[in-house]
Amino acid sequence: MIRIGGRVVAGPTRRIGPQPGEVIDRSRSLTFYWNGASRAAYDGDTISSALAAAGDRVLSRSFKYHRPRGILTATFHDPGCLVQVDDEPNVRASHRQVAAGMDVRALHSWPSLRFDVGAANQAVGPFLSAGFYYKTFIKPQRLWPAYERVLQRFAAGGRVSASSPHGDYDKRFAHPDVLVAGGGPAGMAAAIAAAEAGAEVMLVEEEHELGGHLRYGDEVALSRLQELRAAVAAHEQIEVLTNSAVTGRYDDNWVAVLQRSMPHVTERLVKARAKSVVVAVGLIERPYVFEGNDLPGVMLSSAVSRLVNLYAVRPGERAVVFTGNQSGEAAAAALERAGAEVAAVVDARRGGALLRARGRGGVTEVETGDGARVECDLLVTAAGWTAPTLLVNMTGVKPRYCDRAARFVPGDDLPSDVFATGGLVGDGDVDLLVEHGRATGLRAARRALETLDGHGPLTALPRLEPADHPALFRSRTHGFVDLSEDVSSKDLVSAAQEGYDSVELVKRYTTATMGPSQGKLETINTVAVLAESTGRTVAETGTTVWRPPHVPISLGALAGRNLEPVRYSPMQPWHEAVRARPIVAGQWIRPEHYGDPASEVRNVRENVGLIDVTPLGKLDLRGPDVPRLLNFLYVNKWSKLDIGSVRYGVMCGEDGVVADDGVTGHLGPDHYFMSTTSSGASAIYEWIENWLQTTFTDWSVHVTEMTSAFASINVAGPNSRELLRRLVDDVDLGPDAFKYMQVRQGTIAGVANCLMWRIGFTGELSYEVHVPAAFGLYVWEALMAAGADLGVGPFGLEAQRIMRLEKGHFIVGQDTDGLTQAFTAGLDWLVKLDKEDFAGRPELVWQSERSDELRLVGLQPTDPTVVPPEASQIVSGANEIEGRVTSSRFSPTLGRSICLGIVSADLAHAGTVVTVKQPDGTRVTARVMEEHAHFDPAGERLRG
Amino acid sequence: MGVARAGSDLRPAARRFIHLRGAASDGQRKTTTYSAFSLLRHGLTHEKWQRAWREHEVASAYDAVIVGAGVHGLATAYYLAANHNMRRVAVVDKGYVGGGGSGRNTAILRSNYLTPEGVRFYDRSMTLYSTLAADLNFNVMFAKRGHLTLAHNDGSLRTMRWRAEVNKLQGVESEVIAPEEVKRLVPFMDISSHTRYPILGALYHPPGGIIRHDAVNWGYARAADALGVHIHQGTEVLSIGVVDGKVTGVTTNRGEISSPIVVNCTAGWASLVSSLAGVSLPIITHPLQAAVTEPVRMFLGAVVVSGSLHVYVSQTDRGELVFGASTDPYPSYSMRGSLAFTEELASHVLELMPSIAKMRVLRQWAGLCDLTPDFSPIMGTTPVEGFLVDVGWGTYGFKAGPAAGEAMAELVATGKTPELISSFGLSRFGDGLLVGERGAAAVGH
Repeated sequence: MIRIGGRVVAGPTRRIGPQPGEVIDRSRSLTFYWNGASRAAYDGDTISSALAAAGDRVLSRSFKYHRPRGILTATFHDPGCLVQVDDEPNVRASHRQVAAGMDVRALHSWPSLRFDVGAANQAVGPFLSAGFYYKTFIKPQRLWPAYERVLQRFAAGGRVSASSPHGDYDKRFAHPDVLVAGGGPAGMAAAIAAAEAGAEVMLVEEEHELGGHLRYGDEVALSRLQELRAAVAAHEQIEVLTNSAVTGRYDDNWVAVLQRSMPHVTERLVKARAKSVVVAVGLIERPYVFEGNDLPGVMLSSAVSRLVNLYAVRPGERAVVFTGNQSGEAAAAALERAGAEVAAVVDARRGGALLRARGRGGVTEVETGDGARVECDLLVTAAGWTAPTLLVNMTGVKPRYCDRAARFVPGDDLPSDVFATGGLVGDGDVDLLVEHGRATGLRAARRALETLDGHGPLTALPRLEPADHPALFRSRTHGFVDLSEDVSSKDLVSAAQEGYDSVELVKRYTTATMGPSQGKLETINTVAVLAESTGRTVAETGTTVWRPPHVPISLGALAGRNLEPVRYSPMQPWHEAVRARPIVAGQWIRPEHYGDPASEVRNVRENVGLIDVTPLGKLDLRGPDVPRLLNFLYVNKWSKLDIGSVRYGVMCGEDGVVADDGVTGHLGPDHYFMSTTSSGASAIYEWIENWLQTTFTDWSVHVTEMTSAFASINVAGPNSRELLRRLVDDVDLGPDAFKYMQVRQGTIAGVANCLMWRIGFTGELSYEVHVPAAFGLYVWEALMAAGADLGVGPFGLEAQRIMRLEKGHFIVGQDTDGLTQAFTAGLDWLVKLDKEDFAGRPELVWQSERSDELRLVGLQPTDPTVVPPEASQIVSGANEIEGRVTSSRFSPTLGRSICLGIVSADLAHAGTVVTVKQPDGTRVTARVMEEHAHFDPAGERLRG
Repeated sequence: MGVARAGSDLRPAARRFIHLRGAASDGQRKTTTYSAFSLLRHGLTHEKWQRAWREHEVASAYDAVIVGAGVHGLATAYYLAANHNMRRVAVVDKGYVGGGGSGRNTAILRSNYLTPEGVRFYDRSMTLYSTLAADLNFNVMFAKRGHLTLAHNDGSLRTMRWRAEVNKLQGVESEVIAPEEVKRLVPFMDISSHTRYPILGALYHPPGGIIRHDAVNWGYARAADALGVHIHQGTEVLSIGVVDGKVTGVTTNRGEISSPIVVNCTAGWASLVSSLAGVSLPIITHPLQAAVTEPVRMFLGAVVVSGSLHVYVSQTDRGELVFGASTDPYPSYSMRGSLAFTEELASHVLELMPSIAKMRVLRQWAGLCDLTPDFSPIMGTTPVEGFLVDVGWGTYGFKAGPAAGEAMAELVATGKTPELISSFGLSRFGDGLLVGERGAAAVGH
């Protein structure tokens, strides 16, 4: 009995006396909750070892047949030991250590683990064979949603909650010389040898402490373990990460390590660029397929050794051991030490066979090959090993089947910076594993430190090969091949008969190997059963492709802290101080308006306004071939642009579709400055670099991204010249000295190296000034202060959008789309097809020859108070689409609604009245205008 | 030949299939009909199930050889046999049925495209998918969960409205909904305004959903086999014979096949296979990655897509979340996953649904996408007579499988390009008549 505070909390204890290698701390008792009832544990217990100690045999119900399941492997991969812990689904109970107060719940059971309604599925099992759902629920089709809901009730796994906090996750970069995956004897020895050779080593171990199988071995093993651990600890150059797993080895030894042992963060993703990698992940004991092999009480030999030696738990009272190797014998010895009776040992090497296990809710009887029936509550199987080869296979090396050892091995010809050692390579005693590990570690260190020829001769790599092992996969009876997917060997045979007879098809059809362990336990038996039923060999059948991650990795760890970049202009503090309404514009967050966009418009039209246009893309172009480049990138001509002048240009993709627009100025000899749209800034920079680096490699052009180097302010309105004049001394701003479409460099408010260009997106007299970013806020404030009596005020994106629409300027991506070629956008005046080649020219030549193309036009609703929402469709007849409204606003300047829209060619004539179908279904009419511009089409204001 | 006009009869195939039972001849066979009764019978009697599709020796001649046993190739073969009575047809594949993009995609179906051509085409595909289970007598588990495309800025909200309006006028259910409605459909969604990319609304497409992609491939394979089509797995096309500008057949690792028609349905390998016939395609192959989590109880009722965050996610009936993103930014034939992909994916998914941080990624993989310059497919004839292509599907070939197969079958059988696919011909790249679906197809799923 376990007593906590004088209260009995569970049935008869299976905890035994202290064991030499136990990992529990008997001085620290903990209480946790199992399906609502309290359970006792010691610090160091896993959830499943604590439950086993308390006599709990059933840890879950399987998802399909709701069969009771218990401990099978006592490792991370234990298929029947997934539980819900608090709000965390699918926790590995045989790996997760108990924490005080944990609320642990079994999966897939209702109303209770012992009495489960879903277990009725077992009775209809023959009709629920693999893939049954493909064959039924076909008719009537309308009932499928109802059937589907029933199927969904049987979905595997725990629960997530919408109220779960995100949690704390982190990432770290590491640059070890040698990264060792696996902290068993070979891995530890490799780390030690590499460190001795001068390498910085990262040693990663999935379990909670180093040692691998030595931890649950005999006294010799334990003493070697102490030596190795001491040697690892003695090396400052070895960093040990326990309770951590290498989840993938990507190209160039880019290694992902999931670290679960960090205080204060749930999990951390360590991204290591290792100079060399040693894969020493050991072996996984594989289950054996026979009738009843999923019953609680059927355990692998290593699970028994773990439970007894690490957790001091007696896994059963009376055992039958089926074995094909020494691990079975070790388990039998451990059981006897734990006070259990070993009723029978069935040795496969001497012809012994296992037929079936019987029992309800747990093993009660085993039938052996000779027909003998043995009563027992524990059946131990030692049927052989699986080498988890994923990390090696991620280098491109294919696994190879070793017939005499009856297991797949990693394959040959590893890259020169990836090494394998330990059980993955072969079987041997501790001395051999350590010797091989040391020799491998030394090689890895020399590869990493590039001292291949130095530091004396290399010792020969000792021979480490897989030992012969009987091919034990399936008994004469059928049983479960994949416990987590409830797939039996019968299902596989049946699938193969149905034609799903390659390993990839049988996997997809039956879902075998698709569960939480991703085939680490299941693949070999799946392949073996398939080989048997198709008459092929295991080697011919092959395995499915192993895919990362090696162990599942949480979304939180992969995401880390949220590092989505946000870009603000230097004037952001000012915008915030006046409570500008922010708008997300790609990576930027910028002011949409400062309270009333309409009055901002009126102020610009009547006085002067400032808008922060820092997100505009800005590129500095230098070199003698810049004019050639501009001629290629833009659809218009650039050869003759005087120094001091700017020009508007439009770029098209190779498909002739409008990609970007902006203004480029000629600042000096071989020196130009380009502006792009805000949204296109990075794409256009990449596009230009792509041309220069892949096509025009001999052109002398240098492009520098300057978007964030300058703060950009548009000073717009009739008073803009007067405002700038108050702060600029070294540039003549007179209308004849600094004309429309010209650029000047000068000093604003004492800030040198500012660019001023006279252009006008808003349609007003305006100057776009680019000032060194560090002085952006200063210049902005200086302009505001200097213009107080001129009526200066800020305006936001919305006011700018209204004014540009009044002026008829299109916005790339709003008034154009992924199909809008230049002539559709009304750029006939700009496109110069007589230029020699430019981006998009062939397509535009074709387009120029067609007459039935859509056109962008100005539109004014017949009813001036109606503003048809953007995306309203222009229709004819019942529902024939003739175009759409791309931009619409109420113009404060004109006192009416105005639009731009794309319409079919035959409607694109001034005076045509079109029908606009609004999203709410109502229809209004609008008139096609002469020009895109609704206001000042002659441009007198901006030229003034 | 019974030529079924697209749209004139929604389910000629189904009738044909049913009609065939009990009338086996000429390579056709009696097919066990899948039903609850047949399950019961097999369960009781332990009678062996018939092979879903048979294995055959490779014949020396066929009326048509289709390269690629994915959904496009299998659907083409099936409709050839079912709608046009052309049964001496072989589907050859160097791997196994559905081993390429057809078994690697994220199995999302929708028809809310942007161009009228796109909407019409995918709507036909959705119509065929809607009755596919019954037509093929194979439960393809089409779940019309509803499809949400999130808008995170005013620009994408405007595009959503545009798509909704175009869709409505074409009779496709589609509407823009407010964040609160998004939250009602997906309670795990974070619609607060303090996120990095706030959700401003969504395009809601109720008929969109997910399907069991393998089942579609297998269903077509089984139904085509029943009509006499030969499916040859593990059969790699090594060369394509062309004499005097006409295709004469293919040489495979299992022998020569003569055929007046060869159809290339090889997706990511399309340009390589076409080059065997001397046909150059404007296609670049990029990998597209995907990942799946461990299963949890159903909590995500709809398919969620975010173009701004480059992610789409749905929950399968098994309880797994299936994720995808945009194509990798470099051309490659590698089908290995990268770490960066899962990192970005996870951070974007948690932007949308921060409370699922504890769910774990179980597996990642990649498929190959054959991208064209205008993000539209290439279907139809080529300069080599008899060599037809159904390629260039990029990231959305699975959605198109049935309609493309139906149209390609009509082209093979009648020699005339059906109107539904007439704008998708290879010649458009030489005539300046590109069909852009970049906006709606390239990043949306």
